[in-house]
Amino acid sequence: MEFDDKVPIYFQIEQYIDREIIVGNLAPGAQVPAVRQLALTLTVNVNTIQRALAELIREGILVSERGKGNFVTTDTQVLAQMKKRVIQGELAGTYDHLASLGMAPAEMVAALEEYIKERKGGESHD
Amino acid sequence: MNRMTEALAIQGLSYRRNQKQILKDVNLTLPTGQIVGLLGANGAGKTTLMRLIAGSAINFRGTIDVAGVTKAPQRKGQISFSAQMAGFNPNWRVGQVADVMTALFPDFRTADFLQLAQLLDLDQKQRIKRLSKGNQRKLQLAVTLSRRAALYLLDEPFDGIDVMTRKAMLSSILRWTPEQATLVISDHHVSDIDQLLDQVVVIKDQTVVAQEAADTIRAKGQSIEAYFESFYGGEQHD
Repeated sequence: MEFDDKVPIYFQIEQYIDREIIVGNLAPGAQVPAVRQLALTLTVNVNTIQRALAELIREGILVSERGKGNFVTTDTQVLAQMKKRVIQGELAGTYDHLASLGMAPAEMVAALEEYIKERKGGESHD
Repeated sequence: MNRMTEALAIQGLSYRRNQKQILKDVNLTLPTGQIVGLLGANGAGKTTLMRLIAGSAINFRGTIDVAGVTKAPQRKGQISFSAQMAGFNPNWRVGQVADVMTALFPDFRTADFLQLAQLLDLDQKQRIKRLSKGNQRKLQLAVTLSRRAALYLLDEPFDGIDVMTRKAMLSSILRWTPEQATLVISDHHVSDIDQLLDQVVVIKDQTVVAQEAADTIRAKGQSIEAYFESFYGGEQHD
């Protein structure tokens, strides 16, 4: 995994696990790989992984079971909120950029719809 | 201070050699279970500091405490230093190095060494002197990580190492460093190691000028490299 060297790595690992859950690589109730395994997979140290997992446990996205490991929560509401937060995070930057161009919200929606239509059209050609 | 949570405690360390001040009034405390980047320009004193900690350089002022031990001979038993095979006969083969290390250090694990040598693609039958510079670095790393120590000191382990080899070496470090041990890596190319680090220590003008958690630096929107360079503003450091 490539990291942004100006963003705390534990935070990037949280985002990585959020995404793994959203795309279904980690299903609700699934066990998260062991700390040392994650450290090796992502080539970061164990303390950084532990900090990321502690944050995810604090947010309720992961549940720690003593002696067994960490599991993705089965609370669908918590997962829906997390997904919403991730999507909003992606949109926030776009919104700010478009707003700085002087676009009104209605114009942004229209521009986004048009963009999606063109993008879809473009993709169906290949 | 709680000794159990400290891998290294240095107080008021000063060192001169040939009338020249190499280090002056170094104070540094490192907790157990961390990976620490020791950063500094060439000639800043990184290697000397490691040699002093490891007990290879003596006649210093101040105290060096490693896992609660201060006297040099006992300290050596707590430390695995990448320069510890410096005096080895260049005619020895890679496989023989394990026998020598076993004789020298009771905490040396031959099984670990064999696994590491395989992972790093080292030929057991090759003579040390016939190894490329990169393979000599790999052998140093395998030897260093095969001991069970409280403190590991890796002096510029990635000097002359290509990208693919570096990845294998980084994995080895993560896999073989015991959980409670602390590992200090000196490097002047910070980007080689930055994602591995819990914290960085910066050496400049013969002393420690900064110590900071890696993610605290990044939380301010700064890369470890930019942080390091901020201490050497405008100077050539390579």
